[in-house]
Amino acid sequence: MWSRKSAMLGSLAVAMYLLGLTLRNSQLVTIAVVIFVFLTWAALFGSHADVSASGRRADEWTGEEGVALSNVSAMRKLSSARIFEDGEVGVTLRMQNHSALGKILEVRDRVPEVMRIKDGANYILMELGPRRETFIEYTVECPLRGFYSLGPVAVRVQDPFGLFHKEKELHVYNDFLVFPKMEELKDTFVKSRVPKIFTGAVNIRQPGPGSEFYSLREYFEGDSFRAINWSAYARSGKLMVNERERDAVSDIILIVDSRAVSETGPVSRNALVYSTRAAASLAKFFLGRRDSVGLITYGDEVVSVDRDTGKKQLYVILTKLAGAMARGNVPLQVVVNRILPHINKGSPIIVLSNLEDDPTIISALRDFRARNFDVTVLSPSSLEFEFDAKRLDRTGYEVLKTERDVLISELSSLGVNIMDWEPDMLLSTALAGARGF
Amino acid sequence: MATKSGDTAHLYDGKTVRSSAPSRKKLAGTSSSSGEIPKDAIPTVEIPTFIESLLGGPLVPKMKFLPADKMVQNLQLGCYGVLIALGILTYIVTPAVGTIWFTVTGSMTVASILQIMVVVCAVGTGFWGTMFRDARFLLVSYVLFILSVMRFASSKVSFSQDLFGEAFMESELMLTILVVIYAVLLVMYFELSNGVLRFSMLDTSIRTREVYVMNVKKIIGKYHRSLVINPLIAGTLAMLVLSVNTILPAFISLFSEQTALRMEESVELISVYGVALGTLFVFIIVGGLFILDLPTHLQSWRENKD
Repeated sequence: MWSRKSAMLGSLAVAMYLLGLTLRNSQLVTIAVVIFVFLTWAALFGSHADVSASGRRADEWTGEEGVALSNVSAMRKLSSARIFEDGEVGVTLRMQNHSALGKILEVRDRVPEVMRIKDGANYILMELGPRRETFIEYTVECPLRGFYSLGPVAVRVQDPFGLFHKEKELHVYNDFLVFPKMEELKDTFVKSRVPKIFTGAVNIRQPGPGSEFYSLREYFEGDSFRAINWSAYARSGKLMVNERERDAVSDIILIVDSRAVSETGPVSRNALVYSTRAAASLAKFFLGRRDSVGLITYGDEVVSVDRDTGKKQLYVILTKLAGAMARGNVPLQVVVNRILPHINKGSPIIVLSNLEDDPTIISALRDFRARNFDVTVLSPSSLEFEFDAKRLDRTGYEVLKTERDVLISELSSLGVNIMDWEPDMLLSTALAGARGF
Repeated sequence: MATKSGDTAHLYDGKTVRSSAPSRKKLAGTSSSSGEIPKDAIPTVEIPTFIESLLGGPLVPKMKFLPADKMVQNLQLGCYGVLIALGILTYIVTPAVGTIWFTVTGSMTVASILQIMVVVCAVGTGFWGTMFRDARFLLVSYVLFILSVMRFASSKVSFSQDLFGEAFMESELMLTILVVIYAVLLVMYFELSNGVLRFSMLDTSIRTREVYVMNVKKIIGKYHRSLVINPLIAGTLAMLVLSVNTILPAFISLFSEQTALRMEESVELISVYGVALGTLFVFIIVGGLFILDLPTHLQSWRENKD
């Protein structure tokens, strides 16, 4: 392909040639001839001749590689296909020149925009000898969750003066997944009121076999001697036994708001980022407790992950969270109507939403509460994100903040455990706040 | 299943629907007191300017150059040398007669002064542009050099100064060589000054770790070789092309001495039109080779040879 420089020189040569004829000026014609020769030589021996020779213009170029690049190939290897936010992926790009001619190549391995090159470089200018190969290594830092793809590898060869060049995209792609970052939680203060058949590690606030103290009661025949509380016996003179809180598996439902409005704020600090991180942390905590966890994300559609337990379920949930895109505007009421028939009564429900732009929020959460569900709402405040990013002035912020406080109070009066989650607040703190601790 | 918000009105029938807080997304960028679009909302994209792209284009997005490294300094020195030689040659090969200023003023003295001023300005802006690596000054310098050579010459090569003696002035070959050297120097000046910018950009990108260069010496070596070989080839080939009016009679003389003699003495052939005709003839052949896709075959042969 002609560069602008060669196009300019070519045009200049033609103009000088014609002007030379008009003015009968042989100096002008001579300069034009020298420029023509310069361009012709570069076109003939600059490793790009196939393009210029065919006489095709840039816009007619179909992207097919010419001779100069037909013998260049690339392969890529990643150190990991799944990482967490702020993690690093090591990339090794192998470039091979199969031809008998050495080449000076410009290689750019395309990296998603949100990623940062930490070590090495993805843009390399190299001399690759005949039938040689080389390895390019670099590390990318992945600050945001999502499905990503590395590639294609753009290769360019040009003459030393940059007059003509030939480009080719080597369609070598490597996909990888960035899971949301997780916070280590010690307690979530979320407990089910409804026991399930088999025992697990969750206290359900009912006496039964378990590990945590529930209450004291009088001794009955058949009670284990181990359960006798001797201090209480000494105090009251009656045989008293410790009752323990029954452990059981809970069904935990996580609802993540991924509507377009949830991405309001800077790219790395918005409600969706906080919600996905919180959902990942909560899923890990509950699954670690042997609960069964289900996930629902809603944006332009309602996507659900059925309740299940175990490590595999964690990866399923993390994958869904990694792929959650801020799109659409499905109201929460639709989600509630959809899931209500399928969840066990009394199951804890955790909603992660910025509570914006949805007139059905109150009625939807009222529906949950009317059926005695234990509802916790963590609401990352988009208002704070925007105010921090200086996109809102003080007056606007105060007005909107008041409106938000009114909404939160209204939801709180329905018996919803709700917390206005400010950007610098830890998830555990926000949860404790929501649960009234 | 996708559910659009607009299709869900039936869900709210008979229910109290409360309006929620307005969307912050809509407010973003409009709620500030000044009403301006916030700076962080607009991504910064560095696009090379038109002038930069004309001058060979930056290899990487534009940024402020770091101090010149040795390679760039050498190119700058080379550029200064070429610029001095070019200035002198331009002064010699472009007399004031036939220039625009001569036509306008009608005075040889004024035209000569103006012509010298144009050449001096061309050299001066070239020096400035090269030293401070400023593409705008270089472009002005190019334009001034081209402007200085733009004159009505009546097909005759004439010089402003007879520095080389009468014998030199009468030799057609010597005159052609001098003009070709002038033309090659002009093209070399274009290339060297471009090289200063291109390699400054590359060097800056290397030092800011945007680009990694493998086998730097080989890459630079190839550029240096090209700086020597390409002008030599361009000069030689240009000489051949411009000598068509002497080569052609020599070729014809193999068949007819008289016709060859007539051609040698023909005003048309030794005039600029003869040169232009010869040039056109040569480049039609070159064009034909391109149409036959010779470069591709040549490239293919070079790629696949053992």
